[in-house]
Amino acid sequence: MMRGGGGNRVSPEDNIRNMKDRVILKRLLEFAVPYKWQFVLTFTLMFLGIGLQLVQPFLFGQAFAIFEDAAFEPQRLINLLVIYAATTVLSGFVIYNQQMIIQRAGQSIIYDIREKTFNHLEDQSINYLNQVPTGVLVTRITNDTQTLSEMYTSVLVNMTRDIVTILGIIAAIVGINYINTGNINLALVVLSTIPVLLLFTYFFQKVNRKIYRQIRFHISRVNAYLSEHLSGMKIVQIFNQQRNKYKTFVDISNDLQKADMKQLLAFAIYRPTIYMIRIASFILLFLVGGLEVLSGALAVSLVITYYTYLERLFEPIQGFAEQLNVLQSALVASERIFDILGKDERITSPADAVTVTDFKGEIVFENVWFAYEKEDWILQDVSFHVKPGESVAFVGATGAGKTTILKLITREYDIQKGRILVDGIDIRRYDLPSLRRQFGVMLQDVFLFTGTIATNIRLRDESIDQSTMEQACEYVNATHFIDRLPDKYEENVVERGVNYSQGQRQLLSFARTLTHQPNAIILDEATANIDTETEQIIQESLKKIMTIGTTLIVAHRLSTIQHVDQIIVMHKGKIVEKGNHQALLKERGMYYNLYQIQFKEGPAKPLALEGA
Amino acid sequence: MVFGQTINEYYKKYWPYFLTGVLFLIIVDYAQLEIPVFFRVIIDGLNAGTIDREGIISNVWNITIAAAVIIGGRFLWRISLLQAARKINYDMRNQLYQHHQALDVGYYNRSKSGELMALYTNDLEAIRRSVGFGLVLVVDAVFLGALVFYRMFSLSVSLTFVVLIPISITGILGFVLSKMIRARFSERQKAFAELSDFVNENMSGIQVVKSFVKESIEKIEFLKYNQLNKDKTIGFVRLAAVVEVLLRSLITIIAIVIFGYGGFLLQSTAGTANPFTYGNLFEYVVYFNLLVWPIIALTQVIQLGATAKASLIRINAVLSEPIRVVDASDVSSKPILGGITFNDVTFAYPDSDIPQLSNVSFTINPGETVGIVGRTGSGKSTVVDLLLRLFNLEENKILLDGNDIMKLPIGDVRQAIGYVPQDGFLFSATITENIALGIEIDETTKAKAEEYAKLSSVYENIAEFEQGFETLIGERGVRLSGGQKQRLAIARALIKEPTILILDDSVSAVDTKTEEEILGNLRKLRQNKTTLIIAHRISTIKDADRIIVVDEGRVIAVGTHDELQASSAIYHDFVTRQQLETELEAS
Repeated sequence: MMRGGGGNRVSPEDNIRNMKDRVILKRLLEFAVPYKWQFVLTFTLMFLGIGLQLVQPFLFGQAFAIFEDAAFEPQRLINLLVIYAATTVLSGFVIYNQQMIIQRAGQSIIYDIREKTFNHLEDQSINYLNQVPTGVLVTRITNDTQTLSEMYTSVLVNMTRDIVTILGIIAAIVGINYINTGNINLALVVLSTIPVLLLFTYFFQKVNRKIYRQIRFHISRVNAYLSEHLSGMKIVQIFNQQRNKYKTFVDISNDLQKADMKQLLAFAIYRPTIYMIRIASFILLFLVGGLEVLSGALAVSLVITYYTYLERLFEPIQGFAEQLNVLQSALVASERIFDILGKDERITSPADAVTVTDFKGEIVFENVWFAYEKEDWILQDVSFHVKPGESVAFVGATGAGKTTILKLITREYDIQKGRILVDGIDIRRYDLPSLRRQFGVMLQDVFLFTGTIATNIRLRDESIDQSTMEQACEYVNATHFIDRLPDKYEENVVERGVNYSQGQRQLLSFARTLTHQPNAIILDEATANIDTETEQIIQESLKKIMTIGTTLIVAHRLSTIQHVDQIIVMHKGKIVEKGNHQALLKERGMYYNLYQIQFKEGPAKPLALEGA
Repeated sequence: MVFGQTINEYYKKYWPYFLTGVLFLIIVDYAQLEIPVFFRVIIDGLNAGTIDREGIISNVWNITIAAAVIIGGRFLWRISLLQAARKINYDMRNQLYQHHQALDVGYYNRSKSGELMALYTNDLEAIRRSVGFGLVLVVDAVFLGALVFYRMFSLSVSLTFVVLIPISITGILGFVLSKMIRARFSERQKAFAELSDFVNENMSGIQVVKSFVKESIEKIEFLKYNQLNKDKTIGFVRLAAVVEVLLRSLITIIAIVIFGYGGFLLQSTAGTANPFTYGNLFEYVVYFNLLVWPIIALTQVIQLGATAKASLIRINAVLSEPIRVVDASDVSSKPILGGITFNDVTFAYPDSDIPQLSNVSFTINPGETVGIVGRTGSGKSTVVDLLLRLFNLEENKILLDGNDIMKLPIGDVRQAIGYVPQDGFLFSATITENIALGIEIDETTKAKAEEYAKLSSVYENIAEFEQGFETLIGERGVRLSGGQKQRLAIARALIKEPTILILDDSVSAVDTKTEEEILGNLRKLRQNKTTLIIAHRISTIKDADRIIVVDEGRVIAVGTHDELQASSAIYHDFVTRQQLETELEAS
């Protein structure tokens, strides 16, 4: 069943990493080009900050050196503490500014990428946008860009900082060792744990990533099961399936539990092992360093200096490993965004487009063929002619192609064969916005935005004044219920407008259209069950709307059909009959048969058809 | 840590885990504090030249032993405490789901599905973190914190008092600032949510946007949310940067105090009976570094506990939700043959004052096919809900073969009924599993599933799928159309070969020709079996033995199609209004 079509839904979610990391990184850097000076400044400040921080353990050791000396000089200690305080203040200043500069630049880049992505999607054809689940589109603009922002604000800077810090500390340890003893034996011994740490971290990350993926998989299974069964609980209970379903749930839940336990065990091994490697460094320091002090090769304060440097060495190594994970997800997010930006399915106007100036409303279909997908023809060789100001009703079974015809006139889709002419000109030659403005389009399902009645009618267009809007509402009888609302036009509309009835939504849709003063009407009549009172109001409004200009309606109601100039009967994508009510009856075709069935079954002559 | 109804039971259940965990945690904390002592002995010994090679080796050996205890202890407390938290999480998830299964349809009607899901995701997670990690934080904050202070005091009372001033400032400031940071963070989250909502609406309503050529207005509107998001993020980051710098500065101040005052102590106590040594100063610094963690832990404990408490309250609220629809003590099984009597039923859904049914009485004889028609909201579906015993009723209001429905086991009643919902709700499982819901799948069942799929006119659709009856449907599988779902749901009800079959507007999405086919099959299959067809389309019920017309919760007419055409104005109105559409579709 395909109401109004839409084709197969394809999801770009299942893309595997296709682009090379290098290509992605290059494109990401392109976004950073306008902010290159901020980046230069950030990196400069960062190096300065690292330098200041590397001095601190040295000063710490110096303090002990002062205490070590037999002759304690308070002034030396005070000087040292002042320098220590100064490095802290200075590095605080540097850190703060570096952070703010990079964050401002990073957030500006994300702002740019978001704007670019949103604008890109906003311009795509409805056909394309309907093929991608809305959730995916939203994720691209919001979450993926959010993940990507880490690339600029954290990954680039932190990874550089961590590496430089690690190298700096290693250099300091080695350097101090060499200057004081003329060899680097102690440094080598103390740092010998680092390769072990790196190797272990690398393996753990690999294992952990695997477990993490398993957990994500089981979590989404549990959540999918819950969400399905909580919403379908009525069926579970009616079919007495509580026991079975509980058993299945416990199984799924248990799978998650098992994966969770794996992670628990992995971390129970990882964390203490990291501690073990760290403490091994300190043990080696005190053992080997202590023995060197005994042999007179080393001062005690140097052991303390090393201790302080080592304490600061492990953090950036762990940090670097975590940044690698962030980098991975940022790359995935970037690829998804670039993938979206790489697809262009806009419907565009030609360079020498004709702007609609004096709209009359003549619509001609000339041998139109159309398919949403390949050769799956929805319309086959459809031709008809609507004179300016005429009203036309399309009737036929679901899937006959009625709604599709309406969508083609405003170029929601482009046809494959044939021509559609509006006022004698092929619609593909018009300036698209100016063409679309001529038509007031009303669909079956009225979409309401979160906001107020007014924002839904004006669609945020400030150029439409209050009185135009109120007049339109009056004209389509929407004031009938708007006036009864406590806040009238400022009354809230919640998500999807669920706080309004089907009938009220229909009237709002009429008001929205009329406010924009169209010259022709395209309407897909609602099939929804609407209460009798509102139904009458809607029918009355509809009659008025049809006087505005050329009107094309997909009709579901008898009363609508009897008012139109021309009826086009569709069957499986083809026009089988056209003409007015009387003419079609005379033709004794499909329409006549319908009429006959009705006539036979009705208790009396159906009143609705009599007046035609 | 979080305490309260429900969770306390689990603490009791898993007490050995908690006891072991806390024990090892305390051992680890204690061992951690021993290491600086050995450091001090080495440093003092080296400085004073009183230590020899053996002395160093034996102290290093002591450190190694302490480290081994810490490593083993850390492994063991993780295994026991965090495992207990996971087990509680698992048990609570199952308990919650089990309770959810027992709650009646009324509960589901007034709950939002998003909120129900949040119980399982956010709330259970918050409790888990508070139970496992929260306990670790409490022990560390209290025990490690106290021990460190004790050690610091015993090294030097005066120095510790001096140091205590900046430490308490840090603690208080940390508490206040973390609150501010959280506030900024939630502002940022809110801005992000608004951005998401805007994009979501824009993309969902893109048809309107394009028809009214409002793309440029929407693009400008988007920039507002984009800008807000940028500003709030920068605002958050700025505060975070300030906090980082502030904390660093405070720690520096403390370090300066320790060195300044410690240096003074070093000099003033030199040569006394109880000197503050060079090694003591180093030891003191290491202790101080150990203190940073308990301070952080303390602020986190408060935060974790508060969110977990709120979550526990929400979960307890569900678990204490009474199970209303349940067998009374005086129920007894009696054969159900298909006779239905509504005896002056007036019914309003729980939590609602508006009666959906008012004084409804009718009788359906065993074997009859009865149609029920009426507008949306007229009370048709309520009739079905009551028959399925989804709600409680007063005595003798609905009788099945003369027996009060309230006195029959709920399982029996539902087992006797084959129900087809309007939305054709199906589970994410294979087609066979969906049709044979709750029946063990073997070759006979498979054959039966195929047979009933044919009778429901859905066999050919299934045959078109590559995997046929093994096709997975739902989110992860094939998406079915509304009509296909409805027909599968019909097969699911028929395979039960039920005494009473209820179709609740179940062919609304099926085209008229197929509907005709299904109804024809049903006529043959359901001969002399009670069948209730609720419909909104006249064609569905016009051949029923009798038709009940309901409007505004009352039965307003009963009769055959022809009788009602003549006698009932409302029924007649239905017929004329619907004819055009249905007949066109049939053509």
